[in-house]
Amino acid sequence: MLKIEEVDAYYGDLQALWGISMQVNEGELVALIGPNGAGKTTTLRVITGLLKPASGNIHFYGHNLDKVAAHKIVELGISQVPEGGKIFTGMSVLENLELGAFVASARKVKDQSLRWVYEIFPRLEERKNQRAGTLSGGERQMLAIGRALMSKPRLLLLDEPSFGLAPLLVEQIFAMITEINRQGVTVLLVEQNVRAALELAHRAYVIENGRIVGQGTGDALLSFDSVRSAYLA
Amino acid sequence: MSRKQLAFSTILIVILAFLPLVLKRDNIINLALLVLLYVSLASSWNILGGYAGQANLGHAAFFGVGTLATRLLWLSGWNLFPSLLAGGLLAVAFALLIGIPAFRLRGVYFAIGTLALAQILYITVGNTLPMISSLPAQNLATYQLVPRYYIFLGLALLTIGTAYFLVNSRLGLGIMAVREEEDAAESLGVSALQHKLLALSVSAFFAGLTGGAFAFYHVGYYPQLPFSPEWTFDSMMMAYIGGAGTIVGPIIGAVFFVVVREFLVLKLAEMHLIVFGVLFILVVLFLPGGLVGAWGQVQKALARRSRQKEIKLSLTRAS
Amino acid sequence: MLEPLVQNLAFGVLVGALYGLAAVGLSLVFGVTKFLNVAHGELLMFGGYASFWVFTLLGVDPFLTLASTIIFLLLIGLILYKLLFARMVKLTESIKIQNTLLVGFGLSLVLQNLALRLWTADTRSITTLYSGSVFTILGVRFPIVRVASLVIALVTLLALDLFLRRTYTGKALRATVENWEAATLMGIDIQRVYLLSFVLGAALAGVAGCLVSVGYSIEPVMGLNWTLKGLIVMVLGGLGSIMGTFVRGLILGVTESATGFFLSLTYREVVGLVLFVLILVFRPQGLFGTKEG
Repeated sequence: MLKIEEVDAYYGDLQALWGISMQVNEGELVALIGPNGAGKTTTLRVITGLLKPASGNIHFYGHNLDKVAAHKIVELGISQVPEGGKIFTGMSVLENLELGAFVASARKVKDQSLRWVYEIFPRLEERKNQRAGTLSGGERQMLAIGRALMSKPRLLLLDEPSFGLAPLLVEQIFAMITEINRQGVTVLLVEQNVRAALELAHRAYVIENGRIVGQGTGDALLSFDSVRSAYLA
Repeated sequence: MSRKQLAFSTILIVILAFLPLVLKRDNIINLALLVLLYVSLASSWNILGGYAGQANLGHAAFFGVGTLATRLLWLSGWNLFPSLLAGGLLAVAFALLIGIPAFRLRGVYFAIGTLALAQILYITVGNTLPMISSLPAQNLATYQLVPRYYIFLGLALLTIGTAYFLVNSRLGLGIMAVREEEDAAESLGVSALQHKLLALSVSAFFAGLTGGAFAFYHVGYYPQLPFSPEWTFDSMMMAYIGGAGTIVGPIIGAVFFVVVREFLVLKLAEMHLIVFGVLFILVVLFLPGGLVGAWGQVQKALARRSRQKEIKLSLTRAS
Repeated sequence: MLEPLVQNLAFGVLVGALYGLAAVGLSLVFGVTKFLNVAHGELLMFGGYASFWVFTLLGVDPFLTLASTIIFLLLIGLILYKLLFARMVKLTESIKIQNTLLVGFGLSLVLQNLALRLWTADTRSITTLYSGSVFTILGVRFPIVRVASLVIALVTLLALDLFLRRTYTGKALRATVENWEAATLMGIDIQRVYLLSFVLGAALAGVAGCLVSVGYSIEPVMGLNWTLKGLIVMVLGGLGSIMGTFVRGLILGVTESATGFFLSLTYREVVGLVLFVLILVFRPQGLFGTKEG
């Protein structure tokens, strides 16, 4: 459903991505792994339109994403949980979730979506009137994911959901991500936590210095020697 | 500076130097003096606003402080040059008062800090010194226009010269680096704070000196006047329309301003500020290089055109 | 006796309401777009004149002119934003700040001189049948017009607060203040939010201007003073809540009155500005509540 072809991207004069090509099929959980600064977040930004590619194409169910304005991406069915969650700390949990359903199509089914999100993340319902800034790290991440789900996305992009979380929480979050995928949401997961990501994912791409240097199924990559030594030491 | 530019500048300076000796008409000398005053003011604003990229909305404060200090000291018996110097230094003191805390942070602090400072001084001076400051009898009797003209000429040359040397020095490079990419500059070891404060000090110093010269020049004026925001606006407007961030820009802007204003005042009284204001906004939005930048673009376009013609000619000859 | 002091403070509260209103308009725009509109006071001034002329030429009760003034300022805000500020949205941070300040400053001078040209430098004031009416509580006189202004200011701000907290558009606005990138990811069109906030800011300035023309007086050069009042109030305690800003406006009004009473009128005029500079010098992080403003 999502096809990225030969995308180059620049930050000003600095080239960040070279000929990136990737594909995510419906129902899959695909991981994009690589070291810090490899271009993982940049790739996501290109998909969601926060950064326009210099060349190449991004297709999503036939739509040409690189021509679409950033705020219209959600309407097409792509939702992103940005790095660090970027929740609206001054607003309540409920307000954050409501904003996730900002687009007209999502607003209509807001209450339904809310119930769905509360099912997956009961903690959020408990704290629904609390100011988001008072939540713990793990709860914030849950809120960020829940907020992204409120738009009933077909494709969910996750940028390092495990970042800064204790291992137990990481396990929990990843379990929830698996569940979300099982419920029919296609997931593209960007992660530094390689082992967890590969255990979860159907397929994965490895990115280094702005280039895709490898791809395969999660299991295959886990056993791949270079991946092991580089990332799983 | 190229040899052409050096020659041109020298000729200009010589003309200006001999002006009062050749043309003995007071109104022309006054006009030239006014242009020189504006050159100094615009150029001093440009050092901070154009080269260092810090919008100073309170330049009038430094100008005004200079007038106040110099007038008081000179009329109480000090010699002229120490009075001028005191004006300049006092202006720097006020500038650093705002600059040191404001420059540690990004954003609008400096601009609104200087704006507030200028307004405080404007109101306070207006209330505490509401009467016209007039020259006492003995100064009036010995008043001569020509020396004052030379003071302004010297000041303008000093301001431009300092700007030129500063900009072409390593310090100048640092200042402009901070303007462009503060983070990148810092990571290269360029202290943003120090460079901004340096530009600020130089800018305020010359504004203060210009104020002092103003106080020396005027026979009678309301002490509040130099603190009026109009002086700030005129300075930044001249710098921008001429070409912010260039040496020549403020000069062209000052000449443009005085000439056009004389013309406009004749035809459309009071509209001149509106016209200049709109021009200023247009320049900031669409022509940030000002007249200097526009001239550069015109030259480039002409050069391209003549090169294309040459290429066409050589192609036709070849075939 | 205590009475003149209390009278003075009462007047301070009444004018402080308008300071608060001016400050909210300014901080709304600043919070969302990060533009500090130094021409805010001129928009207020135009609001005052709009009310003045509708009253003078059409005989409409000045408080009713609020409607026409608001519409007028909404239009002006729209035009100014599209013409000038919309272009600067895409610039890099430092240039954006520099340019918006310059353009705002230039704009304030253009508007000021436009007003001077159109309406002369004369001070204007709206006088109605009830302008002189006063009601007295415990010996303290409260001019009806100014009390009505305070009430209107309060109601306006409460309405704004409700809008921001209860409507989706209002929440979108608040989200943009917090994190514009995340807001974009939610499908919020930042450009439209910027436009909305600027236009709302202009409308708020218009309301304040109308109230100033009724209860006090207006003149073309009043803009800078009001912009600075708004700035001072903003700075007294960070961006904060709308009602908080309103209260801080009252505090400024009272502080000015007290200063005028105990010291002199000169000091009253500058006390706010001096406070502002002092906060800037000693606690700049107190400005706008954040280090980066």
